[in-house]
Amino acid sequence: MVERSRSFLALALALAAATAPAQNQKPAAGGSVRVTPPALTLPVGQKAKLEAEVLDPGGRPAEGRVLFFSRARRALRVSRDGELTAVSPGTHEVVVRAMFGRERGPEATVVVTVPHPEPAGIEVEGAPAVLYTGTNVRVTAAVVDKDGVERDDLEVTMRTSDKAVLEVDAFGFLHAKKAGEASLLASGGGLDHVRVFKIEANPVEKLQLSSSHERARTGDVVTFTAALSDAGGAAVAGVPVEYTFRAMPDDTLGNAATGQITSDGRFVAEQPGLYTITASCGAARDQMTLRCDERFAQKKKLVKVGHGPVLDVHTSDLWVWEGVDGRDYCVTGTWGANGDAIFWDVTDPSRIERIATVTVDARTVNDVKVSEDGRLCIISREGASDRKNGIVAFDVTDPRKPERITEFNDELTGGVHNLFIDKNYAYALSAGRRYDVLDIKNPRAPTRVGSYQIFEPGASIHDVWIEDGIAYSSNWRYGLHLVDVGNGIKGGSPSNPVKIGNYAYPSGWNHAAFPWRSKDTNKFYVLAGDEAFPYGLSTKDNPTYARGWIHFVDFTDLDDPQEVARYEVPEAGTHNLWVEGNTLYVAYYNGGLRVVDISGDLMGDLYRQGREIAWFLPTHPKGVVPNAPMVWGPQPYKGKIFFSDWNSGLWCVELVEDRGRRR
Amino acid sequence: MIRRTSLAALLLATAGLGQAAAADKAARRTYTAYVACESSDEVYIVDFDGEQAKTRDVFEVGYQATEVEGPHGLTVGPAGDYWYCSIAHGKPFGILYKYRVGSNELVGECELGMFPATMQISPMTGLLYVVNFNLHGRMLPSTVSIVDPEEMVEVARTVTGAMPHGSRLTRAGDKHYSCAMMSGELYEIDAATFDVTRNMQLDVDLPKNHASEAKPTWVSPHPTEPRIYAALNGKAQIVEVDTDKWLVTRRFRTGKGPYNLDVTPDGGLLVATYKGDQALGVWDLATGEERKRIPTSRPVTHGVAVTGDGRYAFVTCESRNADPGTLDIVDLRTDKVAATVVVGLQAGGIALLER
Repeated sequence: MVERSRSFLALALALAAATAPAQNQKPAAGGSVRVTPPALTLPVGQKAKLEAEVLDPGGRPAEGRVLFFSRARRALRVSRDGELTAVSPGTHEVVVRAMFGRERGPEATVVVTVPHPEPAGIEVEGAPAVLYTGTNVRVTAAVVDKDGVERDDLEVTMRTSDKAVLEVDAFGFLHAKKAGEASLLASGGGLDHVRVFKIEANPVEKLQLSSSHERARTGDVVTFTAALSDAGGAAVAGVPVEYTFRAMPDDTLGNAATGQITSDGRFVAEQPGLYTITASCGAARDQMTLRCDERFAQKKKLVKVGHGPVLDVHTSDLWVWEGVDGRDYCVTGTWGANGDAIFWDVTDPSRIERIATVTVDARTVNDVKVSEDGRLCIISREGASDRKNGIVAFDVTDPRKPERITEFNDELTGGVHNLFIDKNYAYALSAGRRYDVLDIKNPRAPTRVGSYQIFEPGASIHDVWIEDGIAYSSNWRYGLHLVDVGNGIKGGSPSNPVKIGNYAYPSGWNHAAFPWRSKDTNKFYVLAGDEAFPYGLSTKDNPTYARGWIHFVDFTDLDDPQEVARYEVPEAGTHNLWVEGNTLYVAYYNGGLRVVDISGDLMGDLYRQGREIAWFLPTHPKGVVPNAPMVWGPQPYKGKIFFSDWNSGLWCVELVEDRGRRR
Repeated sequence: MIRRTSLAALLLATAGLGQAAAADKAARRTYTAYVACESSDEVYIVDFDGEQAKTRDVFEVGYQATEVEGPHGLTVGPAGDYWYCSIAHGKPFGILYKYRVGSNELVGECELGMFPATMQISPMTGLLYVVNFNLHGRMLPSTVSIVDPEEMVEVARTVTGAMPHGSRLTRAGDKHYSCAMMSGELYEIDAATFDVTRNMQLDVDLPKNHASEAKPTWVSPHPTEPRIYAALNGKAQIVEVDTDKWLVTRRFRTGKGPYNLDVTPDGGLLVATYKGDQALGVWDLATGEERKRIPTSRPVTHGVAVTGDGRYAFVTCESRNADPGTLDIVDLRTDKVAATVVVGLQAGGIALLER
């Protein structure tokens, strides 16, 4: 029920009284501008006309043209002759500037208030039809206007009609106290909303708790289940259960909160110790204590196998592949430099050999990729002297003698930052706006066959990765986009990309995407990597302190993706990533290379749960920034892990048992 | 032997020379140039005192640390208290930054369209006009953004042609001109109404699929006459357009790839960078003759700005790959390079601050 208790605004303000004092006259020796009305209030969708008169220093009408412009043109439009159209609420300014001949003259600023549309109702969400005594549920309430748009400038307060039956706290938690009927009254924006609740006696007499694990490790997701029964022993369903836990970590020396439990009873521990989980429903309760051990009894470490130093310029991405001759090769790009891509023989990773360098007209070769057959390498270009950028393709049948076979820059002139090769197609980003799909069956003559772009205001793309006919793009504030480019799930193809789903998160830092299906749980995740430099990027002399983390987005239901976990190393920032089996490899910029166990179900912060297996900080005293790790991209390959470091080149490391650190 | 009279004359002459030198020194000005380095995301600030040029300051611009963001256009406000820099690549839109002259403090920013490039501020309207070059592949009509530089808000956008460039205003600031590089057009905008008032196809071979062969890249109005000059980059020509008759009145055969232009304040000389010839062309507008072709220090000769006294042309050279760009200062009295300073990668946009 909606009851209008008082009028919010008198919206008959369309044209305010000419006595309003808000007109701001800029002092000018050459006279002034008089605008009528000097200020006004204009409801959304309404129009009004400003009349302007140019005056000489004596206040007499003078010859002069007048220019109108709005300082909030998307919220308040003004035509060349001063007609206003209110588009969205706020306080906006229109400048009325005189021009004497070809000289700038005095001006006036007209303040236009566009009020919010009147509140039309209060919406309450989260409230079930029936409440049970001794249980709690949370509701939220908001004022909305006639179009259903939330008025976030208005607060809603809540109270109940009978506190002995039903209480509500400042956060919207309803506490059902005893059987009966009570009303929840939500008030805001001059409106009241009344919701009547029926509170029934809680039928639950007994609660029995069970768990999916008898003993667990930190990071394991343990599911607790509360079986409810009534006085007769019959099972009861639909009555809410509240789960809490008490932690007794092994480390008692001022340790912080050490676990997380969800409203449906899933629990994960961050520290080794004892955890007592309590489930309650009305007067019925039960508890269980769970022992959580340290996740890894035996530690591992990453040890250096080899290093291909690049110490004069910054290194960008890498790609490792098996050549047609059976040897192993790698190509790395360069950043802010000479337009080089460097080829390496990594057959013996302890003796990484630089075998060739190609130079294209560019300053940054940000991305490098090699086709599945090991014959075609495509590199991206930015900063070309002719500003045509695009991509350049090389025949790398013999990586010691890469043969430049073609370049392609049609509609890619703004710069290609990232690219991918999948079967006979190359996916190339165009200046952060979209990706184009190029048919490279004949790599000497690529042709564009398709394109994908998010047509939203300010949409921007950073990277794209293809797997099983699905393109996973990372799009900054527009987040992850999954697109059928041949999988068939949506009838898409390279020439007809069709969107499958998307997920965005508030920071707008989405920089990388990597798909992964967990064989343990059969859940399908897309891992979204951030990139953020809140403290800037230092290209020389000083280390950089990046920020950001890996977001685990459960896309098992493609229509309802859920962000369920993260991996966040404090004081460092993510870049590229790779998943192989149950292991995540993250290039963590200043945090080095990180290797993470992502087996089993995932929930919460994997770093704090001790799921990190090992880390490696590449440094070189003669690096572009000396002794400063800045890991760009990882690639696990034939049991080793290759990665590029922005300051020091190509590295190969290996994961081994850390026998010196047994606990 | 020197006779007394001769000695006196010599002394007088010497004194006169000394006075002349002192007067010359007193008259010597310091010019300050802002140079945008598109591939290193830097702006160089260079001082030139008539003899030597020195980099006074270098600093990074942009906000996306690991991306090449491409500072491209520069201008100094009419009062000389702020300077402005357009950043080509954003997410995805480019940005206009406003800095305080002297401290180089960033005091404002405004999101624009795709690849905002060259710009100027009109003394008549007080507004800044910047072309959205949109060098991003699809040759669609783009826009000129009109910005209130005091509050740094975009107040209007006017649609023009494909890849608009060379945003220049008449001296009075009442008309804005730009060239649409890929649709081959010249556009005129009324600075007060923001409307396109006229346009002209500059490519006699009509562009096919927005791929002009003429590729007009720049336009410079004559300071005193109703004429404008447009560089046809693809045809090694500069055309003179009579803005009263709206007709091409002269064509100048230039070096390869004429790119940016400027006219001396007295309207006597037109200077043109030849991007493909590593040179600056100096044209006598009275005769229509190229007076001198001056080699520049590095290839890919890009921007040019003539000092307010008409004495010097400041010329940016991009070069290629890791070879840094340069700023050449050409003495228009001698038609020689007076000084060269090495700057950052892909030096392009230039603006002068004269005190």
